[in-house]
Amino acid sequence: MPIVEKSLVRVDRTEKLELEGIDVSGDWNTFLRSRVWTDLDVKVADWVRAQPGGDTIDRCWQCGTCTAGCCMHTDFGLTEFNPRYFIYLAQIGYEEELRRYAHTIWRCVSCNKCVERCPKGVKVEEVVHTIGSYLERTGAAPESPADRFDRAYTENLLNRGILDEAALFRTYERLEGRKTPTRELLRMGLALFTSGRLRTGPFAHRTRGWGKMREVLRARLEEETRQRRVPVPKPPVGAGGGR
Amino acid sequence: MSASAGRGPSDPVPAYYPGCSLDGLGKAYEVTCQQVLDRLGLSLDRIVDYNCCGATEVKNLSEDVSVALPARNLALARSMDRHQVVAACNGCVYSLARANDAVQGPATRDRVNAMLTQGGAPAYDGSASVQHVLEFIYQRAGPDRVRAAVRRPLAGLTVAPYYGCLYTRPKRYTGAGKTPGTDDPEHPHFLDELLVACGAKIVPEFSAKTICCGGGHALSDLEVSVAFSASILNEATRAGADLVATICPLGQINIENHLDRVRAAYGPEVIRPVAYFTQLMSLAFGASVREARLADNFSRPDSLLRARGFP
Ligand code: SF4
Ligand code: SF4
Repeated sequence: MPIVEKSLVRVDRTEKLELEGIDVSGDWNTFLRSRVWTDLDVKVADWVRAQPGGDTIDRCWQCGTCTAGCCMHTDFGLTEFNPRYFIYLAQIGYEEELRRYAHTIWRCVSCNKCVERCPKGVKVEEVVHTIGSYLERTGAAPESPADRFDRAYTENLLNRGILDEAALFRTYERLEGRKTPTRELLRMGLALFTSGRLRTGPFAHRTRGWGKMREVLRARLEEETRQRRVPVPKPPVGAGGGR
Repeated sequence: MSASAGRGPSDPVPAYYPGCSLDGLGKAYEVTCQQVLDRLGLSLDRIVDYNCCGATEVKNLSEDVSVALPARNLALARSMDRHQVVAACNGCVYSLARANDAVQGPATRDRVNAMLTQGGAPAYDGSASVQHVLEFIYQRAGPDRVRAAVRRPLAGLTVAPYYGCLYTRPKRYTGAGKTPGTDDPEHPHFLDELLVACGAKIVPEFSAKTICCGGGHALSDLEVSVAFSASILNEATRAGADLVATICPLGQINIENHLDRVRAAYGPEVIRPVAYFTQLMSLAFGASVREARLADNFSRPDSLLRARGFP
């Protein structure tokens, strides 16, 4: 993995320094020789910026505060989950490297610690999700379990205006091909029923007069889904396949 | 700055947004919230025909729908002539406050209002502020009035106060820490103080106070949501807690839903019962274990509390 972070360090050429015959002036404090990339694609950032959740991406100054406190990175300990780095890769358009995180980026739990702490007002959590959907739109990432859940959740709530958790649970288990043992389901169902908390199917709550609202929201959802589906230009040759 | 951050005029009786959880799985939370408010002489006016706020899920599919859903509820509150909306779920507070921030942008506001009007709801101008019920109780009653209302102190009970992620985060939406009456987003302490006022002991250091419970991925990423539930319980145990107090139905349900998995992976000694803070407050205000609906919780705090002599 190339160390790409350092190219943001502004090169200071006021001193001259030679190391084993190599002129490393200005690079001495980064231990890196400057280099030029040709396979970076600004379209990544262009796409992310154009999405409602991605419009704050350009404010990021790469301080790393988000990553330092990130629940996934620090508390869960998945060190390759690095929001600062995802943003950086998207900013510079290093698609090949970004694709290496196709199976990681969806795991953001939306705890918003990053948004809370970012000194630059980046909506980090939303930007990370947007970068994730870029990877899905370009076919670099498969649809994630979290996306399937988001879809099932949204469908469910649009139905009656109020969530039917038990139905959502069943739908989602079907989507994932999982099956909670019937005995366990019955046990849970009984506990909820006896405490008057089972409100699924015929007992489900609903928002009065929701019908019209549902149509409007569904239409808007479909429209935005279409818009977000606008095909993203293919990544430059040689940048593919980096799963 | 969003309307929530500004925290506009305050109502004698703010509007109350129940959200899906309090009305269903979190019934014990709603019932005991009501008991606590009654005892403290506070009231809230329920928004009828509310709709689900969309939590953190909908925004990943559609920005406009994710703003319109909470905006409809805020608009209903405004049509009840309220400027303040109180919610008891962290997820609801987040999405309501986020919608408030979003409608400050005229383009979004116009699009969302067109949708609301078409759907038969009142339009929304961003003029309602949003508050968590914990902040509401703290601000309106405070530890002193809580202390005065206690009939049966939670003496001998050591509690780990778990706030979770979206209680005051992010401050750009909730205005936390910037306005009087709001809790500190990094080091919240309102729950600590209210529980102490109820006579409970708070664990000296609870480092899992504001970590995420993984509830957003409770079903879609078991590895993560089980691990976070385990960290919270583990940390509470390490700190010497008898039980964990929550302020969010998502956190409560997520942790309780994973109890068996945590037990299997980490052993029974890290398991602690989990209860809504209002259940504990209600108990201190004189309710019985049954009245505080403590047997509703899958982690069964009722057994522990009965053993400690609570009727
Ligand atoms: S905290 Fe904000 S500015 Fe710093 S790296 Fe993260 S997104 Fe960029
Ligand atoms: S919202 Fe996502 S990216 Fe931000 S701190 Fe939480 S897990 Fe990390």
